[in-house]
Amino acid sequence: MTCLICLSQSPYASQSAKESLDLALVMAAFEQNPGLLFIDEGVLQLLPKAAQPSPHKHIGKVISALEMYDISQLWVEQESLQAFGLVTEQLSQPVKLISRHQIAELWAKYDQHLVF
Amino acid sequence: MAGFLYMPNTVHPLSYCILVRCAPSQQSQALSALHFTQALLAQGHKVLRVFFYQQAVLTGSSLRVMPQDESNLTSQWQQLAQQHQIELGVCIAAALQTGIVNQQESQRYELPGTSLAEGFELVGLGQLAAASAQCDRLVSFGAGS
Repeated sequence: MTCLICLSQSPYASQSAKESLDLALVMAAFEQNPGLLFIDEGVLQLLPKAAQPSPHKHIGKVISALEMYDISQLWVEQESLQAFGLVTEQLSQPVKLISRHQIAELWAKYDQHLVF
Repeated sequence: MAGFLYMPNTVHPLSYCILVRCAPSQQSQALSALHFTQALLAQGHKVLRVFFYQQAVLTGSSLRVMPQDESNLTSQWQQLAQQHQIELGVCIAAALQTGIVNQQESQRYELPGTSLAEGFELVGLGQLAAASAQCDRLVSFGAGS
């Protein structure tokens, strides 16, 4: 079973971003090699370390652990990135850009999908 | 797709993992998770695990009190689990942050009491990862933002 985790929540609006990344790390630890798709406000999770507006752990710390867990399938929806005026060079991880109309194709490659 | 087609006379049993992410106060979504699980079991499917994550961990609280004329999701899950011997797993990390603790965790952190409802278990996210890898279908209820 392969799982695509879709991250659409901003990093600190709730615990959801942290919880979805935790699940990705655990799935990777169980050698399930999940793919991550950052979309909408979820792309903000990939911004490098900035001031932390929350009492919880800096999301950048969790994001930087992705590589250690061999999670390499990181997709970012191009339109979401553009909406925030960002380019991939500004993100903390190497990612693959995907446009909105290609998402169905990516979706179909995975057996399971969890949307956060 | 077989699991999603209604075939009253030809049920091919599938194994399911149910992920509940909405708080019990999000009535319609939380009820959907319960009713879906009840329907699966009634049709002869297998439920490998029910996992409560994010705000759904509150479902495993023994300290919620519902008005008398409202249904209590916690006791409905308990009944279902008892009838069908299914495990109700509650994410331990989310539970601790929400104030849901069993005897063991209460002692470990020197807390004044316990609040995990009977029939629920505190388990790690690994249990969800393992069940999702084994099951034929993973079904998630409620975005717990």
